[in-house]
Amino acid sequence: MRMVIPIKQILDPAGITVRRDKERIFINREEYIIDPGSKAALEAALRLKEERDQAETIAISLGPARTDDALREALAMGCDAAYLLSDPAFEEADLSVATLILAAAVRKLGGADLILVGRQSGDTGAGQIGPRLAEALGYAQVTDVYALAVENGAARTTRRWGKGYATVQVQLPAVVTVAPEAFPPRYPHGARIMNAYREWNVPVWGCADLNLEPSSLTPLLTFRGESFPPPLEPERFRGNPTTVAQEVITALTLHKLINPGGGSHGL
Amino acid sequence: MDFSFFGELLEEEREITPEVTEGYRNLWVAAEAADGTLPPSTLEAIGQAREIANQIGVYVWASLLGDGVEPLAQQLIAYGADRVLVADSPSLAEYQPEVYVKILADLVGQHRPEMLLMPATSLGNDLAPRLAQRLNTGLISHCLKLTLDMSERLLLGTCPALGGEVYHTFACPQARPQMATLEPGYFRIPSADPYRSGEVKRVDLDLGGVTGRLSWLEREASVELPPVPLSRAKIVVSAGRGMGDAEGFALVQRLAEVLGAALVGSRGAFDEGWIPEDRIVGVGGQFIAPDLYIACGLSGDIYHYFGVQSARCIVAINPDENAPIMKVAHMAVVGDARQVIPAMLNALGR
Amino acid sequence: MDFSFPKEYQLFRRMVREFCESEVKPLAKVIDREHRVPHETIRKAAKLGLMGVPFPQKYGGMGGGEIGYCILMEELGRVCTSTTTVIGAHTGIGAMAIYLDGTEEQKQKYLVPLAQGTAIGAFGLTEAQAGSDAAAIKTTAVRDGNHYVLNGTKIFITNGDIADIITIMAVTDPSLGAYGGITAFIVETDTPGFSIGSLENKMGIRGSSTAECVLQDVRVPKENVLGQFGAGFLTFMKALDVGRASLGAGCLGGAEAALEASIQWARAREQFGVPIATKQAVHFMIADMAAEIEALRALVYRTAWLIDTGQPHILEASACKLFGSEVAHRCINRALQIHGALGYSRDYWIELGWRDQRITEIYEGTNEIQRIVIAANLFRPYGMRIPT
Ligand SMILES: Cc1cc2nc3c(=O)[nH]c(=O)nc-3n(C[C@H](O)[C@H](O)[C@H](O)COP(=O)(O)OP(=O)(O)OC[C@H]3O[C@@H](n4cnc5c(N)ncnc54)[C@H](O)[C@@H]3O)c2cc1C
Ligand SMILES: Cc1cc2nc3c(=O)[nH]c(=O)nc-3n(C[C@H](O)[C@H](O)[C@H](O)COP(=O)(O)OP(=O)(O)OC[C@H]3O[C@@H](n4cnc5c(N)ncnc54)[C@H](O)[C@@H]3O)c2cc1C
Repeated sequence: MRMVIPIKQILDPAGITVRRDKERIFINREEYIIDPGSKAALEAALRLKEERDQAETIAISLGPARTDDALREALAMGCDAAYLLSDPAFEEADLSVATLILAAAVRKLGGADLILVGRQSGDTGAGQIGPRLAEALGYAQVTDVYALAVENGAARTTRRWGKGYATVQVQLPAVVTVAPEAFPPRYPHGARIMNAYREWNVPVWGCADLNLEPSSLTPLLTFRGESFPPPLEPERFRGNPTTVAQEVITALTLHKLINPGGGSHGL
Repeated sequence: MDFSFFGELLEEEREITPEVTEGYRNLWVAAEAADGTLPPSTLEAIGQAREIANQIGVYVWASLLGDGVEPLAQQLIAYGADRVLVADSPSLAEYQPEVYVKILADLVGQHRPEMLLMPATSLGNDLAPRLAQRLNTGLISHCLKLTLDMSERLLLGTCPALGGEVYHTFACPQARPQMATLEPGYFRIPSADPYRSGEVKRVDLDLGGVTGRLSWLEREASVELPPVPLSRAKIVVSAGRGMGDAEGFALVQRLAEVLGAALVGSRGAFDEGWIPEDRIVGVGGQFIAPDLYIACGLSGDIYHYFGVQSARCIVAINPDENAPIMKVAHMAVVGDARQVIPAMLNALGR
Repeated sequence: MDFSFPKEYQLFRRMVREFCESEVKPLAKVIDREHRVPHETIRKAAKLGLMGVPFPQKYGGMGGGEIGYCILMEELGRVCTSTTTVIGAHTGIGAMAIYLDGTEEQKQKYLVPLAQGTAIGAFGLTEAQAGSDAAAIKTTAVRDGNHYVLNGTKIFITNGDIADIITIMAVTDPSLGAYGGITAFIVETDTPGFSIGSLENKMGIRGSSTAECVLQDVRVPKENVLGQFGAGFLTFMKALDVGRASLGAGCLGGAEAALEASIQWARAREQFGVPIATKQAVHFMIADMAAEIEALRALVYRTAWLIDTGQPHILEASACKLFGSEVAHRCINRALQIHGALGYSRDYWIELGWRDQRITEIYEGTNEIQRIVIAANLFRPYGMRIPT
């Protein structure tokens, strides 16, 4: 069974302070990490690999040269191989272009039985790569998965569905997007960390390797600016308990701190 | 009501012009039905679509896929749709991404909507990106706000980034339809007008051999998740001595349960025997950094507060305005927690 | 000159920090109070290769060298000196002696399980009469056919009671003295005659055990002579030299934690209507801590680099131990002062850090002994030999 795990590298959120009042983002420490969603996908893949004799896990990542570090960490966690998809022509990639590039890489690898990605990434959180990739490759898909097992050419998944969960079986090849909270990642073994940099290689594939025409890589979405949610101004609530309670719940909901309706999991 | 637009609508089934953005009109909502009703998220999307459609002077169309969903079409009209395309078939009882994509992509190909909105639900989040890929168009997902750039007739979608600390706005100038998913709870549910009229049209299903690859086996209410360490809990509810007695503490427990929050307390709560030692927050206990900390009946001096100072939002409920916690709280509720918490539970629908 | 850490070490540090924050730190106060070794942490550490960081992979190690090992010690030192000590005695001196002077067979048989953490190691030098004066040991080893028979009592042996493999220094020829008369042995602790006497009840590092090890007619096969026969004193001193650099790294971590805690508390604690962080008296303490920490960091990693590149390092390693433990001492002491009564309270960890820190000035050679070693190295080029 061949598993391909497209991973994403993000700026470590722990090194970022957002000052809503000043409408500015301060980067205190510029350190890049594997996106938690991608790490969960790696974990899910490695667990499946451990359960069987014949399994191969390949991490791929689209990004600038520094993304090499994310792939080496994936190797350290236990992946068998890793490929960096990097080319000046990839720099402007949006999600649709990223899908083209990742799909080309999967094809170059000879396809996959299972592609695992995070439900959504921690920085931009679009949650599109999984289903887009499934479409581009013609694979089946299951998203927001909390439990995963593979048997006889099919994956049995427990996925979030509305306010509850559903057990869904999917024929392979398939793309599965995983919920980060369900697959807390392992620590990489120290020796693999050393080997990831000293012994193993992360080949770089560009346009030519992937048979992609730079001109075909035009993004569809354009960025139209950044804004900030209103800052949390200290507030006092006084008066009748019922009114006050209602006001607090409304304020908390508005600030997205609680989600009485179940949020995106609600229907 | 003027029905003359129907003719115009039906005429639209033309060849797709090479010019990618031309010839696209009207606003679409891919509506969802769940358990025989239209969920709030779909109504929110209809409401938002109506508002945008009014601004640019187009119609709101809705598609509705499923088994036995036709009776709901009229409701979509009541909430603001002008035309509803219904694909009602037992074969659509269970969601199958490929089948849904095929139907919607065909409909889009025929009718060419300018914008296509979907609720960001389990189904919408699964379906929208795949549909966008099929249609070779852009998708702005998890939008909290939609606006228009009238100069270019562009839909601008604003969605959260960095865990909601920042918003990003995107547009899709080069491809049609312009797609967006709408985060539930962020858009107004319009009021229904049962006298509103519109057209319901049944779609002839031609799946062209496409079959689903999913088997839906069973539904579960919950799954067992690996424990989240306290230091990483998103919502934490905390009790202090001010809750009075076990009964008062039980209210805090209940609030934690309803919010899916971790339950902790002050040293006061520990002294009262309500919480175990490893649930004391403060210098002598745990350091936490939740998004939301709700401090019920605790004074919160520095020895306590030091353990929770990195919380993004602190709510304190305390009758004493001068309690230290009330000075650092973002939302300071002056009142008796034994009355406020039950009212909060009420407001949460419990 | 490039002072940045190679990428593999950056990733390693990140992994170790996460491990320490999630697995080690939550237990620090618990193991102190319960006076027990954190076996659960040791097992988890072993699975990640953290019990054999400096050793080559062909011996089951992680291949991290002394630099990697110092990173581990530094990160552990930030959160728990007990755990630092358990792993330090196991890896830094126990297994290290076998790595430095063991034969290929000995390494395969003993270093591999030690490095993998499937066996725990200890280092048996100190005796009642032989503390600083290590050559004064009385434990004897007498040849009997293919075996040596060991008799004597070692005290203050870290991990003594939990070790599977312990290196023991014993007198093989009393007439020859330290150089020639002392031999090192690898002893399996399940050998008949090996037993544990009392366990020390200590002021700090209570999450590490310190045992009296009694050897009564312990028969050790002659293949278990470690290093050259009669050169055991050198073997032990070589291991201690290397161990001292990493001990300094542990102190570095402890000092950093004290500094960071002080900054946080000084910002939060208000007196006279303002945070105490606005007071110059506090600034000066914090600035002194930071300056000493910077100096210590440079010293520790330069020494580790000397060791990894096979260069002389005795003076520098002693300096790591000496300066490191004193910087840690001053930093935790200042931190306690800045925290006021909270620093003195068992509720917070500063008090624990203060008690734990103290041992670093004593074990693996007291600081006085380190000064002697440093001075001896300085005078040796002039032909002066300094007797201890
Ligand atoms: C070295 C040291 C370390 C410490 N470490 C910690 C620590 O880690 N964690 C910790 O929590 N404490 C710690 N403390 C203790 C801390 O200083 C406080 O004494 C403790 O937090 C008080 O607990 P409390 O808020 O529950 O009780 P109280 O201080 O008695 O406060 C009760 C509060 O409840 C309010 N109240 C009364 N009735 C109601 C009502 N009906 N509804 C709502 N509110 C009501 C009161 O106005 C009052 O503010 C430490 C102290 C020291 C000296
Ligand atoms: C918790 C703990 C763990 C330990 N773990 C181990 C272990 O794993 N293996 C092991 O073999 N040993 C271990 N030891 C023993 C430790 O290495 C010795 O305690 C240390 O070397 C000092 O010896 P001593 O205690 O006998 O002190 P002494 O040698 O009696 O020293 C007492 C004082 O005299 C000073 N002094 C001694 N000689 C001189 C001199 N020549 N000039 C100036 N001052 C001098 C010392 O510096 C010290 O201040 C451990 C000790 C402790 C407390």
